[in-house]
Amino acid sequence: MQKLLQLLKDGNSRTVEVLAAELDTTPADIDRQIEYLEHIGVIRRVSFSACKSCGGSCNGCNAAECKGCMPQNAAVNMGEMWEVV
Amino acid sequence: MSAATIALLGQPNSGKSTLFNALTGLRQHVGNWPGKTVEKKEGTFTHGSDTYSVADLPGSYSMSANSDEEVITRDFIASGKADVVCILADSSQLERSLFMLADYAGLSAPCFLVLNMEDVAKEQGKTIDPQAIEKKIGIPVMMFSATDTKAYDKFYATLERALRNKSQIDVSALEKEYEKIGGYSEIKEQLVDDTISGYTPMWLTVKVLENDKVVSAKLKNTLPDDKMQEIENAAKSSDGAIATGECKFAWIDGILDGAVNETKTAAKLGKLDRIYTHKFWGKPAVVLTVILGLIASFIPAVPIMGVGMGVSALGGLLKETMIAAGSPDLLTGIICDVIIQSLFYIINMLGFVFGVTLVFGLLEEVGVMARISYVFDNTMGKLGLQGKSVMPFLVSFGCTMGGAAGARVIDNWGQKVLTIALAWAVPCGAAWSIVPMLSTVFFGAGAPLVIIAILLVMILHMWVTAKIFSRGLVKTEDKYGMVMELPPYHKPKWGALFRYVLGRTKDTFFRVTKVVLIVCAIFWLLSFTTGSVEDTILYKVGVAIEPVTKFFGLTWPLFLAFIASMVGKEGAIGVISALYTGGSIYAAVGGGAVAANIGEILTANVTQPEALAFIFAITFNLPCIVALAATYQEIHSVKWTTRIALYYIATSLILAFAAYHIGLLIF
Repeated sequence: MQKLLQLLKDGNSRTVEVLAAELDTTPADIDRQIEYLEHIGVIRRVSFSACKSCGGSCNGCNAAECKGCMPQNAAVNMGEMWEVV
Repeated sequence: MSAATIALLGQPNSGKSTLFNALTGLRQHVGNWPGKTVEKKEGTFTHGSDTYSVADLPGSYSMSANSDEEVITRDFIASGKADVVCILADSSQLERSLFMLADYAGLSAPCFLVLNMEDVAKEQGKTIDPQAIEKKIGIPVMMFSATDTKAYDKFYATLERALRNKSQIDVSALEKEYEKIGGYSEIKEQLVDDTISGYTPMWLTVKVLENDKVVSAKLKNTLPDDKMQEIENAAKSSDGAIATGECKFAWIDGILDGAVNETKTAAKLGKLDRIYTHKFWGKPAVVLTVILGLIASFIPAVPIMGVGMGVSALGGLLKETMIAAGSPDLLTGIICDVIIQSLFYIINMLGFVFGVTLVFGLLEEVGVMARISYVFDNTMGKLGLQGKSVMPFLVSFGCTMGGAAGARVIDNWGQKVLTIALAWAVPCGAAWSIVPMLSTVFFGAGAPLVIIAILLVMILHMWVTAKIFSRGLVKTEDKYGMVMELPPYHKPKWGALFRYVLGRTKDTFFRVTKVVLIVCAIFWLLSFTTGSVEDTILYKVGVAIEPVTKFFGLTWPLFLAFIASMVGKEGAIGVISALYTGGSIYAAVGGGAVAANIGEILTANVTQPEALAFIFAITFNLPCIVALAATYQEIHSVKWTTRIALYYIATSLILAFAAYHIGLLIF
């Protein structure tokens, strides 16, 4: 995991497959590392989905509760993203 | 009285609930854990002459104190209430699901390991040797499928064996890994077997290294100050949770080595992904995809434009009939020049809304948009932005307001302002409906070239804007790349896609109709006269400002359309409809050119360089009033909102000037 974080320090984003190739391991191994790093709070998942309360319109939403609000049905098949905290 | 209490422990989706329900049937009750809102499920079952109690512990990732579920789980186990703990792991993904076992190792309660979902692992072609694993970890291990009712005799036998032997995990190999961590031995030296009941010194040491605040607080209450100080000093110098996690994964890999036979999936990329994720070819491939996507958007738009032409022709016939029937000029004008002419533009615009939404919806549906996002992610860094800024940009292709709202996900205020400032340069859905329509009218088969030019200018605009704005907004700081999991390519769900596209087209129709009709009616009324057109206020104002507007290549009606586009891009169409093709003023402004249809009227009254200037002016003008409000709502700064708005008005006029003069050279 140290190696994974070290790689990301160059500022370039990578897919799970690219990370696996660069670290000479399997995508499954990268998946478990991501899961663990997310669990201990070193990385976090970026959520772009529309929040339930407003459905994306952001009418009268509390900004603190409505982090990452996007229009409804937008960006629904964009995969997952994690960023280093 | 029950023969024994069994606690079921496992990560979410490990099959714990299926096992619990199969064991207890109707003999279960559900409540809450004391003082928590976490569900507590308990039940009983009988096997042979013995009755057992079962506690279905909350599903949790590990035994750390990151959530109520995890604290409840480990407190229950450490309390000694369970005679044996049944640890479930998903056989189909042992590399990750054995993490719970690794985190459990070091707790004193006896346990056994159930490798659930045996059937799924078999389908994946995995062969697992439970005996080999058992030999390594020293507790009973069994393959299992909780959904298979015939497999339960094996479960009962394994349970009885674990109870009989009070089996505990052999942690020697794991501890060897931990000993490599700086500070581990120093912390462990301060602890003894019963420092905290139910936990071994090894387990407590690991939790201290992982900065587990609950464990640290308990130790603080138990240990003398000097010992605690030693522990805290040693913990500070360690690598923490990342190091312990690596030890656990190394231990898991050691357990699975030789016990699991599977074809390792190497990191293979599909043909398309090899191109899209290529360091050199990735960007050209993505730009080409977007250009082809925009060009392809014309195909579904063409038949809808045919409908628009039909409406226009009917309007012409109706106008002739109404005039012949002696209908008042005002009524004829409102019906034919305002309503029907506006409908012509609206229907043509909808054709492109439908086309663009369909093509880009399809690209997203099949998984290509995620690749586009990935390829441009690294470019964001070069613009001084975070990788996730690419998503608001993609959303801005639909609606700038959505892009501004989407920027809320960016924590750094300066980067958020910069993201929104750049998102404004992305032509929104309304622009993508007007620009192709006007391009088709003025440039015919050359329209796709105008679209490509718009796209290239957009990229240049974003780059220049980033350079200008980033100075005051973004500081140079360490930047980490992101990890992205691209969705697999899959066939589109056509039904859902068409429902989405038709929904967006319908929404656009109602929104656009309102704006176009209102703006068109206002400008038509301002230009309506039964006398001389030159006497109208609009004409007088227009002629007065034209020496200035002409500098940017815009005739005064086009300049008014440019101003109206700030309300909403479609507002520009209302002005064009009123001044060029709807009212009596076009004859005056266009030198009296008369033509049979709207397209010909426009081309007869607006030159191609003027049209090009106008297209660039409205495309890169401030997006709309709603986007302006959304920007203020997100960045809470009048200064920066005004600065961005003025910047866009100025740059759009500069671009219009450039486009006009380039147009003069070309046409």
